[in-house]
Amino acid sequence: MRWFKFGSLFLSVIMVVTVLSSSGMAGSARQELAEDSLLEQILKRGVIRVGMSTFVPWAMRDKEGNLIGFEVDVANRLAKDMGVNIEFIPTKWSGIIPALLTGKFDVVIGGMGIRPDRNLKVNFTIPYDYSGQSIMAHKELAKGFNKLSDFNAPEVTIAARIGTTAATAAQKYMPKAQLKLFDDESQAVQELLNGRAHAMVAQAPLPAFQVIKNPDKLFLPLEDSFTHEPNGFAIRKSDLDTLNYFDNWIRFVEAEGWLKERKEYWFGTRDWEDQIN
Amino acid sequence: MRFLQNKRNTRIAIADITFTLLLLSLFVYFVFYVSTHMQYRWNWSAIPGYMFRYDDSVGKWIPNLLMEGFFTTIRLSFWATILAVLIGTVMGVFRTSRSLFKRMIGRTYVELVRNIPPLVLIFIFYFFISDQIMTALKVDGFVRSLSDEHKSILTFLFASPAHFSGFLSAIFTLAIYEGAYITEIVRSGLESVEKKQWEASYALGLSWQQQMVHIIMPQAVRRILPPLAGQLISTIKDSAIVSVISIQELTFQGLELMAATYLTFEIWITITALYFILTFSCSIVVRKLELYMRRNDP
Repeated sequence: MRWFKFGSLFLSVIMVVTVLSSSGMAGSARQELAEDSLLEQILKRGVIRVGMSTFVPWAMRDKEGNLIGFEVDVANRLAKDMGVNIEFIPTKWSGIIPALLTGKFDVVIGGMGIRPDRNLKVNFTIPYDYSGQSIMAHKELAKGFNKLSDFNAPEVTIAARIGTTAATAAQKYMPKAQLKLFDDESQAVQELLNGRAHAMVAQAPLPAFQVIKNPDKLFLPLEDSFTHEPNGFAIRKSDLDTLNYFDNWIRFVEAEGWLKERKEYWFGTRDWEDQIN
Repeated sequence: MRFLQNKRNTRIAIADITFTLLLLSLFVYFVFYVSTHMQYRWNWSAIPGYMFRYDDSVGKWIPNLLMEGFFTTIRLSFWATILAVLIGTVMGVFRTSRSLFKRMIGRTYVELVRNIPPLVLIFIFYFFISDQIMTALKVDGFVRSLSDEHKSILTFLFASPAHFSGFLSAIFTLAIYEGAYITEIVRSGLESVEKKQWEASYALGLSWQQQMVHIIMPQAVRRILPPLAGQLISTIKDSAIVSVISIQELTFQGLELMAATYLTFEIWITITALYFILTFSCSIVVRKLELYMRRNDP
C-alpha cells in the first residue's frame, strides 16, 4: 500500500517536471525562431509552405487535382525565384490567421486584403494585387434594386463568406440588412440561387462570373465593384528580413509586367474555364 | 421453444409495401423538386473524374481528390482507433483501479473530454497543445530529413510530409476524444464481471495481474467488443469534424471541391455515399463478429 502512495507521488512529481520543462522548451524554440529569420529557415529547409484557401479564380483545383489560379501562379513563381520547392497548405479561410500565427505555414498568399485590424495581428507586404467587392442579386427577390442603399433594409438578406473583406464590406455599406455568413463561396451562391438571400457580396470578378453562369436567376445591380482594396502576402510579425525580401520581389515582378500579364489571364479572360469542369 | 423465439418474420406485409412506396415517392419528389423548383443544373459527369483520373505520365488510373480524401479518412480513423483503444484500455483499467490516484486520473480525463464539445476540443488541441508538442518533438524536421523511400512509406501509412504534423495532431485529437468513450466501455465491461470471479481467482492465489489477464479480461472483452465496434464506426463518422482544422480528409476535400466547382448537391451526395459504404461495411463486419462471439453461447 505504501508503495502505491510513493508511486503516485513520484508520478505527480514527474508530471509537474514534464509540464515545466515543456514550457521551457517552447520558450527556447520561440527564441530560436526570433534569431533565425523565416527567410533563412525557408532556404535551409528548401521548402516554402504557403497557406491558401479556395477562391475562384485565385486558387482552385483543376480536373487533375492540381492547384491552379492567380495566387498559385504568384506563389509558384516566388518559390522558383527563391530556388526552393513549394508546399501548399489548403486551409479554411476562417482559421487562416490563427494557423499562420501558430506556424502551420510560412506565408499566406491567398488574396488577403490589407486591413488595419488584420495588420494588428500579422505583417503585410506591399500590395501585389488590388481587388474590390462587388454585389450580385437574385432577379426576382431584388427586382429593381440598382444601388447599394436599396439593399440597406432590414428585410433584405445578404450572403457572404465568413471572415472575408466581403463580409466586412457588406456590414459597412448595408448595416441594416441581415448578413448570412458561410464557410465558402459556393454555399453562399447556393443560398442566393435557392432564393433564401437577396444578394451576395464577394470579391470581383466572382459575381460577374456567376451571373454569366446563371443569367436567368442572377443579375449585377452595380456595374463595378464598390470597394477598392490592396492585397498582400501575410507573414508573422517581427520578421523584417523576410518582409523586405517579399516586398522587393513584388516590386521586381511588377516592374517586369509579369503580375499584370497573369492578372489579365485569370481575371480578364476565361481561357482557364475548361481546366476545371 | 427457443427455436420459435429466434425465428424472424420474413413475410412481406401490406404495411411494408406502403412504407417502401412512400419512401420511394419522397425520394422521387426530392429529385423532382430540386430539378424543377430550384432550377438546379445537375452535372454528374464531372464527379467520376474527381474520384479517379487517368494519369498520362504514369499510364494508369490514380485516385483524384475525392478518393484521396476517402483514403485519408480511412487512414485517420484506423490510427485514431488504435490509439483510442490503447488510451481507453489504460484509462478503463485506471477507472476500476483500487488506487484513488489512478481513479482520479481516469475520472478527470473522461469527464473533461466528454463535457467539452468535440469541435472546441479539436480547436484547443490543434492550435495550442499539438503545436507545442510537435515543435518540441521536431516532427517536421524529422520528416523532411527522411530519405525518399522512407517518405513514400510514410505517405502511404500516414500523410505526405507537407501534411504530416497536421495529420498527427488530428490523430491525437480524435484518439483522445474517442478514448474517453472507449474508457467508459472498458470500465463497464470490467465492472460487469461478477465479483465472485475476482474472489475466486484471489482465493486461487493469483496476483492482481494474473487475475486481470487470465480471468477478468477474457470475460470482459467478450462483453466489450460489440459496443467497442460501434464506437469504431463512430470514429469514422467523427473524423469528418477534423475538416475544420484543414486535414485533407473526405469532407474537407469535398468542401474545397464545392468551392471550386459549385457542384454542391452532387458532391454532398457522393460524400454521403462514400461514408455510408465505409461505415456500412464496418457494420456488417461487426455483425459477423458478434455472431462469431456468440457461437458457443447456450
